[in-house]
Amino acid sequence: MDRNYHVFSDGRLERHNDTVRLVTLDDEKKFLPIEKAEAVYLHGQIDYNTRLVSFLNKHGVALHIFGWNDYYAGSVMPKRGQTSGTTLVEQVRAYDDLEHRVDLARKFVAGSIHNMRTNVSYYNTRGHDFESVLTTLEETRDRLEETTDVAETMGVEATARRAYYSTFDDILPTGFVFDGRRYNPPDNETNSLISFGNSLVYANIISAIRATALDPAVSYLHEPGERRYSLALDIADLFKPLLADRVIFRLLNRNQLTTDDFETDLNSCLLNERGRETFSKEFEESLEETVEHPQLNRKVSYQYLLRLEAYKLKKHLLTGEEYVPFKRWW
Amino acid sequence: MTDSDPVDLLLQTARDEAGPEEFRVTGVMMQYYVVCKRELWFHSRHVEIDRGNAAVVRGTHVDETAYADKRKHVSIDGTIAIDVLDDGRVMEVKPSSSLVEPAKLQLLYYLWYLKHVVGVEKSGVLAHPTERKREGVELGEEESEQVEDAIRGVYNVVTSDSPPPATEKPVCESCAYHDFCWSC
Repeated sequence: MDRNYHVFSDGRLERHNDTVRLVTLDDEKKFLPIEKAEAVYLHGQIDYNTRLVSFLNKHGVALHIFGWNDYYAGSVMPKRGQTSGTTLVEQVRAYDDLEHRVDLARKFVAGSIHNMRTNVSYYNTRGHDFESVLTTLEETRDRLEETTDVAETMGVEATARRAYYSTFDDILPTGFVFDGRRYNPPDNETNSLISFGNSLVYANIISAIRATALDPAVSYLHEPGERRYSLALDIADLFKPLLADRVIFRLLNRNQLTTDDFETDLNSCLLNERGRETFSKEFEESLEETVEHPQLNRKVSYQYLLRLEAYKLKKHLLTGEEYVPFKRWW
Repeated sequence: MTDSDPVDLLLQTARDEAGPEEFRVTGVMMQYYVVCKRELWFHSRHVEIDRGNAAVVRGTHVDETAYADKRKHVSIDGTIAIDVLDDGRVMEVKPSSSLVEPAKLQLLYYLWYLKHVVGVEKSGVLAHPTERKREGVELGEEESEQVEDAIRGVYNVVTSDSPPPATEKPVCESCAYHDFCWSC
């Protein structure tokens, strides 16, 4: 699987002969090995032109852009090599059939609860007492079976995630408070890390969905929305505990990120450039971690698990074979 | 769905006489029919294959380079694409002899198609350039029946609402649908 490149500095990204190069404001030049790239993430103020976009398109490389405050601002995706009317029709059919839609929504939530539980359970055996949270997560999992519409399913998801987030204040080291999830903008260090981590998960899933002919705007748990890839939100919920939250715990508990890596404003707190760089590096390493896949009989990277999830959903929609959401098995 | 024989349906489609239901069978569908019916079903639903897959890259390369100076590509009705040698025989090139059966059926199907749709009778040759082997193939009565049975079989697979379940085969490992098929 190809890797992601993150650009944090300001400057210009351009095609130079048969490769891509970054020219920073102080005229430093860096080359990006385009042959091995899956996507380029732009976090700084970057100029680029159509020549670069055509070149990235030719190599099938996506450009994900993070704007002011590192909000995900959009993507320049390579032209679709694959489109499939059949897939889109089946996607919409499942959305339109309430029973089918609720079933899929429940599966995304069931997978999310399982993966949140795995993280809680890990810390429960390492000096924390999270028995009551584990109980809540089990209860929400049972309640999920009885939900009959999407709003109710969403409600169960929210309850589970609130219980899950309640463990963060205990897991995180002194100096980092959490005190509930807030965004737009995040109001403290932990919230800004969760926002940034989730947006990286989201962008990686957009790339994974793009490798199939699934339409990223047709979703089941989240209402298909304007101007966003809501199917990526459905799938992202499954992977946030594995990909984003573990990186947060690791970086803070090992002191690799401190309060100096943030910029605090009146009502917001965001990672600064150095902090984003540290986080992205750790995040990319986490994507490259591998695990033995029981059905594929080989090791696959965490990043490839995202691709497989898109395959699984597409296969379910096309064939009617059961979709089993990603549940961490190791 | 129709009650008519898929073989007739295919011939009507080829002659532009088919009604609303058209039925075309390409050479690669014949191969998949022998190799894996699940693969055939995925192919019929246009599931994208993994272009980076090693076997796909190899097959494409052998197909594009072997005997390039001695053969001509001919496309018929946009349905089948055959290679004709200087001596008029139809050639099918395969990267390895492990896929002889599917390649042979594909070649027989081409000969059958030429006979029934185009109206010319040809002989075939199955070539394995990497192993420097060639084998003559003729369309007799038995072979015709084999082709027609396969056409009916292909029809049954591609008109089903769902594919046959996955079963582990030696070819799975090099299949371009491998990860799609086994992801669960």
